[in-house]
Amino acid sequence: MENLLFARTLMGISLGFHIVYVAFGIGFPLLLLVSELLALKTGNEQYHRLARSWTRPMTMLFAIGAVSGTILSFELGLLWPRFMGFSGQMIGLPFWLEGFAFFTEAIFIGLYIYGGNRLSRRALLLCTVPITIASAASAIFVISANGWMNSPGGFTPAGLGAADVRPWRALANKAWAHEAIHGALATYVAASFAIAGVYALRLLRKGRGGMSPDRPGPTNFNLSRPGLSLSLAVGGLLVPLMLVTGDYSATWVARQQPAKLAAMEIVPRTTRGAPMVIGGWLDETTGQIRYGLQVPKLLSLLAFHDPDARVLGLDAFPPALRPDANKVHPLFDLMVFSFFVMLAPSVWFWIARWRKKDVFASRPLLASIVIASPFGLVAQEAGWMVTEFGRQPWIAYQVMNVSNGVTPRSVEWVLVLFVLVYAALTAGLLKLLLAPEAKAGAPDEEEKY
Amino acid sequence: MGTPDEMGVLLVGLGLVMYAVSAGADFGGGVWTALASGPRADEQREALFQAIGPVWETNHVWLVYIIVALFTCFPRGFEALSIALIFPLVFSLVGVNFRGAAFVFRHFGRHKGARIPGVEAVFSISSVLTPFFMGMAVSSIAGGRIRVAPSGPALSGQAMPYWGAADWITPFTIVGGLIGLSVCAYLTPIYMAARTAGGLRDDFRRRAIAGALALGFLTAIEVVVARFDAPLFFWRFVRPLPLALAALAAFCGCLTLVLLLRRAYGAARWVADFAVAFTIAGFAAALYPYMIIGQLSLAQAAAGRQAILAVLTTLPIGAALLAPSLFLLYRTFAMNLISGGPGDN
Ligand code: HDD
Ligand code: HEM
Ligand code: HEM
Repeated sequence: MENLLFARTLMGISLGFHIVYVAFGIGFPLLLLVSELLALKTGNEQYHRLARSWTRPMTMLFAIGAVSGTILSFELGLLWPRFMGFSGQMIGLPFWLEGFAFFTEAIFIGLYIYGGNRLSRRALLLCTVPITIASAASAIFVISANGWMNSPGGFTPAGLGAADVRPWRALANKAWAHEAIHGALATYVAASFAIAGVYALRLLRKGRGGMSPDRPGPTNFNLSRPGLSLSLAVGGLLVPLMLVTGDYSATWVARQQPAKLAAMEIVPRTTRGAPMVIGGWLDETTGQIRYGLQVPKLLSLLAFHDPDARVLGLDAFPPALRPDANKVHPLFDLMVFSFFVMLAPSVWFWIARWRKKDVFASRPLLASIVIASPFGLVAQEAGWMVTEFGRQPWIAYQVMNVSNGVTPRSVEWVLVLFVLVYAALTAGLLKLLLAPEAKAGAPDEEEKY
Repeated sequence: MGTPDEMGVLLVGLGLVMYAVSAGADFGGGVWTALASGPRADEQREALFQAIGPVWETNHVWLVYIIVALFTCFPRGFEALSIALIFPLVFSLVGVNFRGAAFVFRHFGRHKGARIPGVEAVFSISSVLTPFFMGMAVSSIAGGRIRVAPSGPALSGQAMPYWGAADWITPFTIVGGLIGLSVCAYLTPIYMAARTAGGLRDDFRRRAIAGALALGFLTAIEVVVARFDAPLFFWRFVRPLPLALAALAAFCGCLTLVLLLRRAYGAARWVADFAVAFTIAGFAAALYPYMIIGQLSLAQAAAGRQAILAVLTTLPIGAALLAPSLFLLYRTFAMNLISGGPGDN
């Protein structure tokens, strides 16, 4: 049992690590596209400079995204060989297709980054189109594999294996649509808010009269304004969609994975007109909810669009098949809470701009953006944990148990080793991203301007 | 040719060859960074770094391709290998990871004007260890020692004892690891000789000759070692097809030497790739129809027909998408790829 715990911990850490880098791998391309398009359409050079100033962080994050993804694809086998022996033929196809998408992305990123002096503006803009499409496609394909784990299909069970495999059916599984839409949008939201936070912070520091310690030189301050507007335009536009697509996900979960819903919203007993519980936790011994705020009938209404709908409670499932509500529920609340944290400053920012206020000088506004900026990443991590913890104890829903998927090898040493690897990578990367640059040596592209 | 698992073998084999000749050359860059010597040592390091910088990520894709092709086309084989080879695979993985990171850090560290201490060492060490462990992992499937744990959930839940944990360390696999390393050490200087000039080119030419001799020597040794340490493999190897492929590999190896001596670097590059491809093909032909020798056949390991067909049908579509993009990439940077890569503009 302990070994299973180590394997799950390592899988969770690795995915949690990967998703951070990948969010930028998907988010930056969209910003690049918008930025280069604006530069070409408006003739405002600042937008082109802005886009080029992202090449450095983008290549770094992209490379770490690729190596951490490689670790993941090995880990599928090293940690879950039994699962892969069974399901590789079903979930292999999306990973295979993702490979093409990733390759396309890598090629055009190479062109865009190294072609700065060699390609025309129009060609640079055209490069950002396949980068954007391919990176989103990567996410959408990988998520199909996760969708399959939530709604396995496209095969007929046969003993320990699968017969009559229909890989396209497995790819287009029932959970794919909602997870792909909500999950891909989440990466854009996460990346744009994180980037907006960096610019807001720079403007705040500048406002205090001091020089930004990380970016000497006047040009970079000028980029902070378009940088903030652009990232907050993309993030602010997409954040409301998180509610819409999240609601769509919830209705799907309610129908297909009632145990996950019961854990997500803490529904101890099957009820008609179930309340929505905010905060609080489940007292396992009494089966009561402690300290939660309860909004009557809201859960039934949201999940089934009927205030009196019956919602299955945890008691409808044998204890061994119940996900842990005290993990899933707080994480779900955290995701929804993050949504509001991000919504507020984006609404404020755009209303203030619309009323022609100087948004770049308003310290409370900038501060609120800085505070909101990590919450896209937070929500994204939390949301994935909801999905993954909520699926327990299944590795493939109602088909295979996690404990049947795990490796018979001891993996605690792998866990320790990779935690060290991740720590080293993160430390090195932070050092590079935050270190003062360009004291000497070859000039970076962005500094030529 | 024709059954899906045979097509699957071709897919995985293609990945192995492509990974060996493209990423192999990148790893060799790390090896020769460590071994840089002489009055132009710094230039050598710089040239290696410049050459690999823009392409290593694209080359790296082949590793993921191999893994994905394996678990899609041979899920039971992937399962068995992941259990049996956890040690060498984890070690290679750590190497892959640090090498990629070292690239990023070295690139951006250099732009800061100061080299990050230790990064170059990390780059070199991981470039040596990774192909070594990969070579051990690949050769151990022919070594005849690793056992396939019974399939199914019977064993899961409780951890396997550490027995068998060292199955993969045998004389045969150690030489296999050295072969992995020498493939890299062989390819890189040939590529580099083709794209450098002057004294630097002579440096790489000498290193290429050394690499070619090392690879030829080690593969010959491996056959002898197999006779005693991996007899199952040896007797499968001394059949007409594997021998013919091995002979082709040896021929290409000798031809590279001749071409290097005559300073025909462009041709040497191609022939060197073929030497590596034939080496892998000879190994695979000896192994066939096994995936893990004496333990698991390809047919037992294979996925359902439909799964392999899906992969096969999407391959040309994906390739049709990728080919023009790659062409564009190479055309845009053609001039610079020859003279050292576009890394520094
Ligand atoms: C920026 C990130 C972000 C934000 C603001 C939200 N989510 Fe989310 N959510 C995710 C990021 C995310 C995610 C990380 O991307 C997940 C994990 C799996 C998936 O499909 O998306 C997710 C999963 C997820 C699931 C589980 C789907 C499943 O297990 O199949 C539900 C029910 C919701 N979300 C609902 C919501 C609601 C009602 C939100 C209200 C505002 C919300 N999410 C905001
Ligand atoms: C990147 C976002 C993701 C995060 C943060 C994440 C997080 C996690 C966590 C925390 C676990 C451990 C669950 C537990 O111990 O209860 C887990 C398990 C797992 N995840 Fe995910 N996950 C993500 C996406 C995916 C995707 C796209 C796949 C696609 C195949 C996947 C496959 C798995 C597998 C195979 C396991 C192990 C089995 C299990 O615990 O059920 N995950 N993940
Ligand atoms: C079990 C789960 C996962 C595995 C095995 C995996 C595997 C990989 C691999 C191997 C790469 C590098 C590609 C290459 O070098 O060929 C990669 C990169 C990438 N992955 Fe994942 N991944 C997983 C989860 C996810 C999730 C949940 C997302 C998105 C929501 C995602 C999105 C991406 C993207 C966009 C890239 C491109 C690299 C970048 O832009 O930084 N992956 N992944």
